[in-house]
Amino acid sequence: MSERIVIDPVTRIEGHAKISIFMDDAGNVSDAIFHVVEFRGFEKFCEGRPYGEMTGITPRICGICPVSHLLASAKAGDAIMAVSIPPAADKLRRLMNLGQIVQSHALSFFHLSAPDFLLGWDTPPPQRNVFGLIAANADLARAGIRLRQFGQEIIEILGGKKIHPAWAVPGGVRSPLTEEGRAKIRAWLPEAFATTKVAFDLFKKTLATHEKEVQVFGNFPSLFMGLVAPDGTWEHHGGKLRFSDSSGSIIADQLDPQKYFDYIGESVQNASYLKSPYYKPLGFPEGMYRVGPLARLNICEQMGVPKADAELKKFKKMGHGAVTSSFLYHYARLIEILASLEYIERYLDDADLLSDELRADAGINSLRGVGASEAPRGTLFHDYTVDRDGLLKKVNLIVATGQNNLAMNQTVAQIAKHYVHDNDIPEPMLNRIEHGIRCYDPCLSCSTHAVGQMPLRVQLIAPDGAVLNEVARG
Amino acid sequence: MRKKSHPAAGRDFLVIGYGNELRSDDGVGPKVAEAVEALQLPGVRTLICQQLSPEHAEPISRARMVIFVDAAVDAPKEVQLRKLEPGEASQLMAHAADPRTMLALARDVFGHCPEAWWLTIPAAKLGFGEDLSPEAQRGFEQAVREIKNLCRS
Repeated sequence: MSERIVIDPVTRIEGHAKISIFMDDAGNVSDAIFHVVEFRGFEKFCEGRPYGEMTGITPRICGICPVSHLLASAKAGDAIMAVSIPPAADKLRRLMNLGQIVQSHALSFFHLSAPDFLLGWDTPPPQRNVFGLIAANADLARAGIRLRQFGQEIIEILGGKKIHPAWAVPGGVRSPLTEEGRAKIRAWLPEAFATTKVAFDLFKKTLATHEKEVQVFGNFPSLFMGLVAPDGTWEHHGGKLRFSDSSGSIIADQLDPQKYFDYIGESVQNASYLKSPYYKPLGFPEGMYRVGPLARLNICEQMGVPKADAELKKFKKMGHGAVTSSFLYHYARLIEILASLEYIERYLDDADLLSDELRADAGINSLRGVGASEAPRGTLFHDYTVDRDGLLKKVNLIVATGQNNLAMNQTVAQIAKHYVHDNDIPEPMLNRIEHGIRCYDPCLSCSTHAVGQMPLRVQLIAPDGAVLNEVARG
Repeated sequence: MRKKSHPAAGRDFLVIGYGNELRSDDGVGPKVAEAVEALQLPGVRTLICQQLSPEHAEPISRARMVIFVDAAVDAPKEVQLRKLEPGEASQLMAHAADPRTMLALARDVFGHCPEAWWLTIPAAKLGFGEDLSPEAQRGFEQAVREIKNLCRS
């Protein structure tokens, strides 16, 4: 007699995303909520620990964007010490963040989104994945993996390992770039540029046949937020915060990230463990804003490097004021990969990166410190309050996926309104909702500080709360 | 991700320990891989990561045998060692892949799928913390023994 043994590996079962689509009395979609039903608790777990440990602890929130947490945590530590870090350390941190942007965007574009573009929305999910992509274009799939490896390699060269490198520390970094590491990065760059060009070509072909998706995949007015340099150039690990609106007008500029709580509020909703941040002067939910590649490109005036600047001009022509379609997050991601490669190339000729002047030292000079850095998915805040001994009394982490929470809800509602009729959940809608959320590349490990993937469950809910229909996938 | 090779070793066996080391027993996979690394077994490489992702397919494709080590819930209370075959899981919005997917990627993208085993260790607690439960600790010790046996076979 055979016995069936079922084993669920831990790291793949904790995350569950549920989408509730609310119907009105006339049977039309009135609203939608993207629930995240994982438990968050990382902030409590860290209380009582020395703030200097946070660069070792917080990268473990996430296996995909540990570097983002590392760098934001190091910046928060800089603020507690009230130091300016050495220029070489700042450049090295930036180089690592650029590697992080490349690897994360490559995963999002090539492995999670490209199968939809290449294989079509109505291809069944078992085929609409990276294996379908391999079957359709093996070279593209391989190039995508190699581009992600390139970003990971930069992280490993600097930090000694690809994930959880406790390399950045309050006050600076532990080690410089080596000559050997620099040569390795330089040798790989041409391939990375070539792959990026292939991705641009693919996406531009996609745009020609996806006008409807551009129109209905999260195409609505909102605010956009991110870091910019003093002259409005694209930033990713420095600068100040800027908010702009959907007309493209700047509504607040050069805001000090240390004071984020003066202009960002956090709403907690019963339906989700995700907090929903909003721009305080406009209140909740009118203060909804988006972060991440689309927002960063909307708020900046130039990328600061020539090839990406040429693409930015084309990108900006796609909007009337700001570019408001979340489908164009993909395009923005590619422009950010290109800009990152150009900046990496520029850094390779900078002698500072081999310097050993890497760390400022100081005691506790401020009882509160905020670190803000641009993670691939958007602005990441680490806010630490410490006592005189540097032990953490309070920790607040505001992550990109949370800041996009309201926009993801609105994206799901917009897609559902186009496809849901008569209490039916058609397969094409499910595929498109899946992609609508994927535009934001949400990271639930970060946003709920747990681990997991995202099985999808969609419910249609009547005005009286009754579940009219339900489908699950994953 | 951490990689280390025994200096005198070939590239025969790859032990991949994955999981979150700050979620108690979920970190047992990485702990097992660290212990194997410390044994300096000839021809054995280790790879430690929080979750599996596509670029891991490349080192997997270069191995003769790969052993994935993970924590497991709702499972029998003993360590399970099972042969793995490549499988094409559909990816929704996930950033992480499972071992069968990694094997299929190694085969389809890099041209070689090694013999593969999945070693799962029962997990009893998954809250925040770095310590293992007594159950996972027992599993940890057995897992290291199993890997030594596999690598000697």
